[in-house]
Amino acid sequence: MGQEFLILNIIIWIGFYLIVCLSLNIEYGFGGIPNFGRALAVLMGAIAVGGIVNRILMILFGISGQIVDASGAVKTTTNDIISQNPVIGVILLLVWLLVAAILGAGTGALFILPSAKLSEDYLAITLLAISEVTFLVSYYNPEIIGGYYGVSVPNVLAFIPGEQRLFAFAFLIVSVAVFVYILVNRMLNSPYGRLLKAMRENENVVKAYGKDIMKIRIKTVAVGSSIAALAGALYSMYSVNVIATNFSRVEWTFYPFLMILLGGLGNTKGVVVGVISFVTARILLITYKFEIVEVLNLPFDPVWLEYILFGFVMLLILIYKPEGLIKEKPIMTGPIKKLLKEKS
Amino acid sequence: MSVLEGTIIYSNLLVLLSIGLTMTYITTAVPNFAQGSFAVFGSYIALTLLRLYGIHPYASLPVAFVLGGALGVLIYTLVLKPLISRGAEVVILMIATLAVDLILLGVIGAYSGYLEVISRKGAKKFIFTPYDFTINGLSAIFVVSIVVISIILIALYILLFKTKFGVAMRASMENPPLAEIMGVNVEHTRLFSWLLSGALAAVAGVLLPFRQEIVPSTGGIIIVSIFASSIVGGLGSIFGALLGGYIIGTSESFITFKLSTVFGSSILVYSRVVSLIVLVITLILAPKGLASVKWRNLKWVKNFLS
Repeated sequence: MGQEFLILNIIIWIGFYLIVCLSLNIEYGFGGIPNFGRALAVLMGAIAVGGIVNRILMILFGISGQIVDASGAVKTTTNDIISQNPVIGVILLLVWLLVAAILGAGTGALFILPSAKLSEDYLAITLLAISEVTFLVSYYNPEIIGGYYGVSVPNVLAFIPGEQRLFAFAFLIVSVAVFVYILVNRMLNSPYGRLLKAMRENENVVKAYGKDIMKIRIKTVAVGSSIAALAGALYSMYSVNVIATNFSRVEWTFYPFLMILLGGLGNTKGVVVGVISFVTARILLITYKFEIVEVLNLPFDPVWLEYILFGFVMLLILIYKPEGLIKEKPIMTGPIKKLLKEKS
Repeated sequence: MSVLEGTIIYSNLLVLLSIGLTMTYITTAVPNFAQGSFAVFGSYIALTLLRLYGIHPYASLPVAFVLGGALGVLIYTLVLKPLISRGAEVVILMIATLAVDLILLGVIGAYSGYLEVISRKGAKKFIFTPYDFTINGLSAIFVVSIVVISIILIALYILLFKTKFGVAMRASMENPPLAEIMGVNVEHTRLFSWLLSGALAAVAGVLLPFRQEIVPSTGGIIIVSIFASSIVGGLGSIFGALLGGYIIGTSESFITFKLSTVFGSSILVYSRVVSLIVLVITLILAPKGLASVKWRNLKWVKNFLS
């Protein structure tokens, strides 16, 4: 069971991070928008599940009181219903993902507005600050998602017996990730993907062709954030509760940047390679941390080791392999393929 | 400690941190996300000296200054210099400082565990207020922070405006290629700015535990306030950092306190929301910060003066 659990854990985390990294790759890898506030969109997905849908369920079941306590009651009631009637569980899952996507898109569109006036570096700082402050507020304020107590979330897979639930969940998250991958790949292989790359390389040229940079940016970040919010919703579903500390800057902004830089910016295959190698390394490190500490005889908590290690990995990539594992290739459009054929 | 006193202390420390941030931004053009952890590094130097050798935190200021400077130089030469020489974009440099911040967090966290083992006292969470005393009815931290900031501002003024090195430094801040043609070694000014930035941050870090509780991850939280101070003043101006530090320091402590008397004490935890709002408003009205505003050219100021 131990080995099985480890592999499932790796698969599930590959799913979460693949979704987030694909969204970041649209914004930063293709569009060149330095979104240092990726964690905000993921947190929004969790707020959609724990803060919004939970409240709707409270009204439906006529449960009153503070969200922290009421969410527990909502969870028990909903789990009972779902274990009787799986269709309700599927519907609830779809509602979650839909609400998360809408909330994510809305937040993303608002959150990028300062970019109208700011240069790259100022923008990155502002986005990081907005994300960080939202994180602090949702941690301190018990009204949103229960603050430091967190809120409970119903289990949409309650109709599946306990030991198989993790398998079902892994299957679910992988299918969502694959769906997102296909969607993003198609989107970026369209003229829109080439427009994004053009914007990254030279905004003025794009402007000269009559495109509104601001509109492209708002669209891009709205799409990216709504995708990232899906990961937040799925993550809350996986941990069956929502608490702000799960959505830290390191885990949902820094690590995604690390993965897309490791895989190679601006290509979706690179993202997959980056995510798989990072997640495997990280989960192995977390699983065997006590063994590692014992072997190396470290006098401290192994969680710090993870930070030091991945910080160094990031620096090594930036200094020695800035193009990543898979280099960015030009997008093969019909006419380019034709041209290459004629040449050879 | 009265609210006003607390506000002034906090603002002084923010100024120290944001001057460092601004200096490295001017010379190397990278906003340093590790500035907050530089400060926590200083806090832990003071804690180590206190726990292991019984040295009072105020006496450890010179040690922190030197070690903080060394840290700044180390980060610049090992991380940023190779990246800059390879022509990395500003976003890549920022990601590099985020990585440095994460490494520092890991190292400081690991060290706090190690310090607990060797000193047999808690080190993961600490505060220095029990070690503070009063001077003529004023808390010592109030006096010390004012003395420190005065010494540093005067020294900085003399250095930048009265010495040949300072002229060279300002020249290479304003126009690096031109300064290089005139025989100024831009590399030296960059190195020096990182040295000073690390040193000032560590000094601020020694004083910070007199005002708030320190944990290894404090750096990641105060970085928002540091950036807010530097940006409100204008990232391109040292005077702006001074102005911004006091504006953000006041809005986080004093204005938040005043708001809490109206809305109740639950609002106190939102002090950083206040600084974020100040930051966003400034960016909308004056995207390059207050120091860049040509006050004389503003219509209402003109009318007022004439």
